[in-house]
Amino acid sequence: MKKLAENKPPPKKRGTVKIIEERCKGCWYCISYCPTKVLVVSPKLNEKGYHPPELKEDPPNKVCIACHLCELFCPDFALIVEEIK
Amino acid sequence: MSEKKKTTMEILREKVEELLRTDRLPHVWCPGCGIGIVLNAFLRAFIRAKMDPNKLVVVSGIGCTGRTAGYVNVDSFHTTHGRAIPFATGIKFARPELNVVVFSGDGDLFAIGGNHFINAARRNHDILVIAVNNFTYGMTGGQHGPTTPTGAYTTTTPYGNPDRPFNIPHLAISLGVPYVARWTTYHLMQLQNSIYTALHRKGFRVIEIISQCPTVYGRRNEMKNPLDMMEYFRKFSIRKDDATAEEMELTYNGKIVVGVFRDVQGIPTYEERYEELLRRAQK
Repeated sequence: MKKLAENKPPPKKRGTVKIIEERCKGCWYCISYCPTKVLVVSPKLNEKGYHPPELKEDPPNKVCIACHLCELFCPDFALIVEEIK
Repeated sequence: MSEKKKTTMEILREKVEELLRTDRLPHVWCPGCGIGIVLNAFLRAFIRAKMDPNKLVVVSGIGCTGRTAGYVNVDSFHTTHGRAIPFATGIKFARPELNVVVFSGDGDLFAIGGNHFINAARRNHDILVIAVNNFTYGMTGGQHGPTTPTGAYTTTTPYGNPDRPFNIPHLAISLGVPYVARWTTYHLMQLQNSIYTALHRKGFRVIEIISQCPTVYGRRNEMKNPLDMMEYFRKFSIRKDDATAEEMELTYNGKIVVGVFRDVQGIPTYEERYEELLRRAQK
């Protein structure tokens, strides 16, 4: 997972992550299992007092590649990945 | 402006939202609980199978996993403790065209409802059992249960658990269950594909899912946050479809053997045999 973020250029597909913040409980599976590490811990709190993730892209290598892995890992149904063309 | 064409995964995500009671979210499960992952995988597998949601019934017992029935936007039953399988059997008998899924935890299915599980498996009722095994009784405060590995620390076993845990796949295989699989919550796609396959099979189908309970099990067993438990599943699970009974046994902080242990077709279900019996009796 680390290798992809550092060395290889990411695949051509691009996406964006919509975060439903009030559902997030701050387990951070999405942050640690994102292959390109575009999600980071947000400094702000949601209404339940958890830190939700935040999309922070840093092109060319740190971009969302719409792999939908965070969506599958999220136990709280808080993430929606959308592809952009 | 033309409407953007949606990809398969985007459509799948939208349909997951439709099958959830979104007004009740966020759900009661703790941060990092694996039940949400299992529910997500089940809903995705169900959507991929293109089955009618009006003919799906989700039955669940009591406990953390028992709360699942309240979050799915299909007909669901939240039954008494341990009696998820008898309720499901009744539904299947009354309306054989329905697709009955039992979604329950290890304490509910194997401790309180252990006898129901054994006898329903023996008779081969046509139901799918999704057993979420988190090694402990989560909702009541982390007491040891029949699936707690030997040596594990819980609230009621502060010096280590002396009992041997249930070997659920081995138990199911010995009862002649046609579909037996075990996965962990780290195996997202395998779990989803396994549920997809099981939805298309007939007979009693058991899928055991090793799930994490960071709040009451993990913190007493040196896995203080959800990610530590997920890393444990990642590092210690190996796939072996033809595993022996000894290999399938769960040990404390030991290897977790995952895979589809049994997948046979053509065993007559109880409903089929009962129908044939009725036909013979009415002659």
